Amino acid sequence: MTHPLLIAAAAASLFRVVPLACSDDRLAIAGGGVVRLAAGASCAGIVPGKAIAIELDADGRATPRALDPAAHPASAADVPKAAYVLAPVAPADADTADQVVVTIDVFVPPRTPATDDIYLSTDRSDWNPAEIRMDRVDPRHYRLGIPLRRGARLAFRVTRGSFGTTERDAARALPPAHVVIGAPNVDVRVTVAAWADID
Amino acid sequence: MTGRRAVAALAAVAGLAGLPATAWARPSAGLDGGTILFFADTLALVARNGATLRLDGGIRAGADAIAVDLKTDRVVLAGHAFIQRGSLRADADAIALDLDDQRIDLLDLASGDHRTTRALGEAVQAPIDPARFAFPDVVDRYAYIRAKHAAITPHANVRFRPAAFPTSVGAVPVPSYLYTFATSAGFGASALPAADFDQPYGLWGTPYALTTVHGRWIDGPPAGPDIGLQEQLANGDVEYATAAVDQPLRGQMSTGFDAYRRMSPIYTISAQGTDALGIWAAQTSLGAAFGQAGGRVTLVAGSFGTSSFDTSLRTPDLPLVGGTTLRLTGDVGYDARRGGLLTVLPDAAHYATVWRHSLDAFLATPVVRAPLGTRLSATLEGTRTWYAFPHRYDQLTGTVTASKQFSRAFTMLGTYQNAWSAEVYPYAQALFYPPPNPPLLAPDGTPWYGYDAFAGVAVARSTTVTAQLTPNVNTSAQLAVTRSDDFLQFDGIGPPPWTVTGTLRMRPFPNFGIQLSRSYAFDWGGVRWVPRWSISITP
Repeated sequence: MTHPLLIAAAAASLFRVVPLACSDDRLAIAGGGVVRLAAGASCAGIVPGKAIAIELDADGRATPRALDPAAHPASAADVPKAAYVLAPVAPADADTADQVVVTIDVFVPPRTPATDDIYLSTDRSDWNPAEIRMDRVDPRHYRLGIPLRRGARLAFRVTRGSFGTTERDAARALPPAHVVIGAPNVDVRVTVAAWADID
Repeated sequence: MTGRRAVAALAAVAGLAGLPATAWARPSAGLDGGTILFFADTLALVARNGATLRLDGGIRAGADAIAVDLKTDRVVLAGHAFIQRGSLRADADAIALDLDDQRIDLLDLASGDHRTTRALGEAVQAPIDPARFAFPDVVDRYAYIRAKHAAITPHANVRFRPAAFPTSVGAVPVPSYLYTFATSAGFGASALPAADFDQPYGLWGTPYALTTVHGRWIDGPPAGPDIGLQEQLANGDVEYATAAVDQPLRGQMSTGFDAYRRMSPIYTISAQGTDALGIWAAQTSLGAAFGQAGGRVTLVAGSFGTSSFDTSLRTPDLPLVGGTTLRLTGDVGYDARRGGLLTVLPDAAHYATVWRHSLDAFLATPVVRAPLGTRLSATLEGTRTWYAFPHRYDQLTGTVTASKQFSRAFTMLGTYQNAWSAEVYPYAQALFYPPPNPPLLAPDGTPWYGYDAFAGVAVARSTTVTAQLTPNVNTSAQLAVTRSDDFLQFDGIGPPPWTVTGTLRMRPFPNFGIQLSRSYAFDWGGVRWVPRWSISITP
């Protein structure tokens, strides 16, 4: 049974969703369940796998609308569960289209050559050792903001511009890659124990 | 390099390269569609316009659109979806399955979720699991690669045919492109010599191996295009081995290898080697760590009968007052050369091997707050090396770095370094450092009589001031001015008195970043623009 308060909260709300399928008066939403289309609404123009906006009325019925990124920042996760005629058993995944900026702070050891640049090497460039130069904050502190899509996973290592100058752990062994996940206000702090070329 | 060595090197790399192709490189899924889009940042594949999927066991599936999440190996088929194995077939409005699992979810708009397996037996009703039907919300124009066919090897790579790079300016469409996303650290190792531009092109690969051909540019001398072939074997972060052959179009072939293994939490072993211009060098090293302390044994051998051996031990960073730390390193080893190291001596052959030992002390302050909102740190390192022959070598290097952050976007940094060294041959200094006759000539042909003052003591003083502007997350500009005041230093000998380096990092498109760097040396030995374009392109 649909709770009237939930339906009221969703009244006239617009949501950006990815449709999985649409037939007759039913629409399946990626990461969600199945909602019923409002009277007069149709599946025309809905392409499975291509994001659209839907407007939910007071009865929780959906009307497909044209995409307007500024007006529809919400995701399928925010669609009230009560709006589904076939509801998911768990909250839906967050929208992955939003760009977020994650911050990586790197602290280098005292033996780092004072005028060397510090770089991030990531799995998205096949570990190019000079992929992105970091900005220097103070003599031993570097910082970089990276735009990522929400939920994107980035594995990285710290280098001084070549694989021969990649970071090493305290035992002078190659450490596992650091991982950052795209989410708002994420700040990853990495302390480099040693470098491959400096014992 | 001799012809025989070149053939042997090529054969070795080609042999290594053949291993993964024959034994392991078997894609387990094929994706086809009128359009296939690949998003490198989320490792998502989306196929549209007649999308079909082929899986092991003769399974075929199709839908209006198919999404493959390469991080989780999950596939979602959306709209008019079907899955078929032989004569068995299941239809649904959407289907979710895994590349490495038997479970299949069939979503029906009227009746909800039903589950079955790849055997396509009778499906049973189940609650809708939204995580299994997460189709990525992508913007098509941000795709890194656009193709029509994709062959997927889970946890390793995707081969696209043909491959176009819509957002990478200058990237040429190619008939076939291998994108690897295996995360083993060893895939970052390279045995190729340095190049000013290097574009790898994957030939084939597995989670444990990758064969690439590299289109490169060397800024000389001699300047020109260059092609490299590299084979990489990697096992997580534990071990890797890399071998490469490099052939400049103008110049001589070179070869190299690099290998590493973490043997235990205490011991690591590594080996490197190169052979270029007829000169070879190889090194093997065993490292050990005991808490923060450690040691290393290194053996080096090379052309002309040269070799060296080192055994070193280091203390942890020992805390002193105010956060200052001290680290001591001791080293014992030898240098050797067939025919003798001390060639100025008439009995040089007696000194084919010269043992030495050294002690190094490294002092570091923490980063401290200083007046005017600056932050300051300093290091001081002193080393003395004693040789079996009456000879010692001393080095003393001090560095001070200051920074001031005027705003989150603008930072100034200054570094001063003074490095002094002295090579002392008691009672024989004049023998080892005689005045050159005729006088030393600078690169422009100018005689430099001042060199006569050099008797083994040198000093390098450099001051670098850097201004760094980061107006937003996608743009960063840096300008560094360096003043070098050394002895030895003369027109073209030693570092230029003044250099300016500009670096720009920007991201003109959402998934296309570029980094440029250029240096200018002020009228020094005929050098003006230093050819150091550093270009890095990121998806």
